[in-house]
Amino acid sequence: MPGTVNRRAVRWLRGQLPELVAAGAISSENAASIERHYASVETRSNFGFVILATVGAALVGAGIILLIAHNWNDLSRAARTIIAFIPLLLAQALVAFVLLRRNDSRAWREAVAVFDVAALATAISLVSQTYQVQGTFDDFMRIWMILSIPIVYLLRTTLGAIVYVVGAVVWLFDLWSFFGTPESPNFFWIFLLLVIPYLLICYRRNRESSETAALAMVVALASIIALGATADFAKSDLGPFSFAGLMTVIYLCGLRFLPRTDQRLSALAIIGGIGIGVVAIVLSFQSAWHMGHDFNWAGRSFPQNVALAIELIFPIVAVVLSGWDLMQRRARFSIVAAAAPVVAAVTWATVKICNAPGGHVLPADCSFVGAAVFNIYALWLGIDILGRGIGSNSIARANFGLVLIAALAMARFFDSDLSFVTRGLGFILVGAGFLVANVLLFKQRATA
Amino acid sequence: MKQIRLIVFILVALAQLAVPASVVWKRSQTLAHGRVWKFKTEPVDPVDAIRGRYIALRFAAEKAKPTPEPDVAALISPLFVTLKEDAEGFAQVDQITNDRISGDNVIQVENGYWSDGWQRVRFPFDKLWVAEKIAPQAEQAYRENSRRGKENAYVTVRVRNGDAALEELYIDNQPLADYLRAQAAKK
Repeated sequence: MPGTVNRRAVRWLRGQLPELVAAGAISSENAASIERHYASVETRSNFGFVILATVGAALVGAGIILLIAHNWNDLSRAARTIIAFIPLLLAQALVAFVLLRRNDSRAWREAVAVFDVAALATAISLVSQTYQVQGTFDDFMRIWMILSIPIVYLLRTTLGAIVYVVGAVVWLFDLWSFFGTPESPNFFWIFLLLVIPYLLICYRRNRESSETAALAMVVALASIIALGATADFAKSDLGPFSFAGLMTVIYLCGLRFLPRTDQRLSALAIIGGIGIGVVAIVLSFQSAWHMGHDFNWAGRSFPQNVALAIELIFPIVAVVLSGWDLMQRRARFSIVAAAAPVVAAVTWATVKICNAPGGHVLPADCSFVGAAVFNIYALWLGIDILGRGIGSNSIARANFGLVLIAALAMARFFDSDLSFVTRGLGFILVGAGFLVANVLLFKQRATA
Repeated sequence: MKQIRLIVFILVALAQLAVPASVVWKRSQTLAHGRVWKFKTEPVDPVDAIRGRYIALRFAAEKAKPTPEPDVAALISPLFVTLKEDAEGFAQVDQITNDRISGDNVIQVENGYWSDGWQRVRFPFDKLWVAEKIAPQAEQAYRENSRRGKENAYVTVRVRNGDAALEELYIDNQPLADYLRAQAAKK
């Protein structure tokens, strides 16, 4: 079945064939028959066609809507209602046809999926207009997305799944920008949970495909945005802790579930790693530890408490994931990076206890303690990443460690009342560090 | 496997059809059997007025003087109001309550603010969808006929068991489409 194999693996295998023949592991006849077996793989590169078919379906859908909008006013309510349903019925008939007859064609599946989802939106909005149904944009998005997600599964469309996650983020932004009483963003997590099984199916089918990686990345980025909204809504001061947890989960998942055979990191692990670095730098500012919210159970709504529970999930998952790998003695991750949620938790608790009413410590001193801990942690993280970069001969990773240290240094320069001379010397020191480390790295690489 | 997939799809397809179909069913019942109420329109904040293909509506009755006077602090959206007709036959808010009541004179509203014995509410029909072709004229006609000194526009709303369906916008006692046609003929 050349259609379902991993193209990258095939390319690698083909590259290996001359060596294998030279080493006598296989005969040249074997090599030739392997070549023949995979001959069709490269020519079946149909992703471009899939995109074109999808765009085509979207355009047809839009065209139908425009045709309908023309002379709309002269039609009776009943006629308008019937017309609103026609594109949807047509799309559904096409989906049934594809499921029965064209189930193996990816282009067909992606195209009818887009058509069906667009026709559904058309039907709902035309009926709403005809019958003067009032509703907000987020009500519309919510019902539309819930009715669309089964299509992603039925037609196995990864492109559709990505669009779905983007749609969930659009829904979130529409809600978030609302002034006045903030609305609960918790429903976003239900949207996200609905697409996770599909991600797992993709992963099991082909873990090295770029589509799986892209979907995983979109899910990770959407989670980061949504956690911001959730923390904002929960008003619990748990944001630092929760973000450290989420970034660590992303980093660990990237390393554990999308491992690469070479020394490089998967894109997901890179996002997580950068995320941990950013969180560490942000938390090294004293203002990040001013805990403004008086925690008062009585004044909290149920959705706010759900949001709080969601915030707690990520650090717990991070600790379980890293703990499990450590116990199995197969941890490939940086222990310093994976410790971010633990460090954040301990610091958070310290600052919270320090801030407790009736204490004798000034709030400013409490937040100073929190910031000090994270200054040390960020420095440690930078050194650790630098060390791992040098160890694995990765210039990118080593430089990321340096960037982290430099960012920390700069944050402190602008944060504190240092004289210009001290700041200047600091910059020179950091710059020299970059130069020396890179010279050493390139030398090491040249001799290796 | 194929069969299961098809059965699941049939269920999904039915759900996709059911959502708009249920709206059609409920609204056509309300429009056919609901009680007719007339709501006098008010001027709209011009910034708010037109958003694409609908006209934003404001109503005189949204400024309510309920009897008996409710406990304002306890009012939380959604609220339910009962309607009554004034001397000219236009709808007015009679009572406001948090309790979920039903009837052909009950509509669900959003809470506004309390000021000087008046309670502001928002009716659930503040947009009138119009065809793109007539939207600018419709908007202009509405604005000209619902400003202070020339209040000449109202909408009819059908209410049935708490469901309120916006039926028609009347300008100068003519349905919007007829009024626009008459205006165009005059020119």
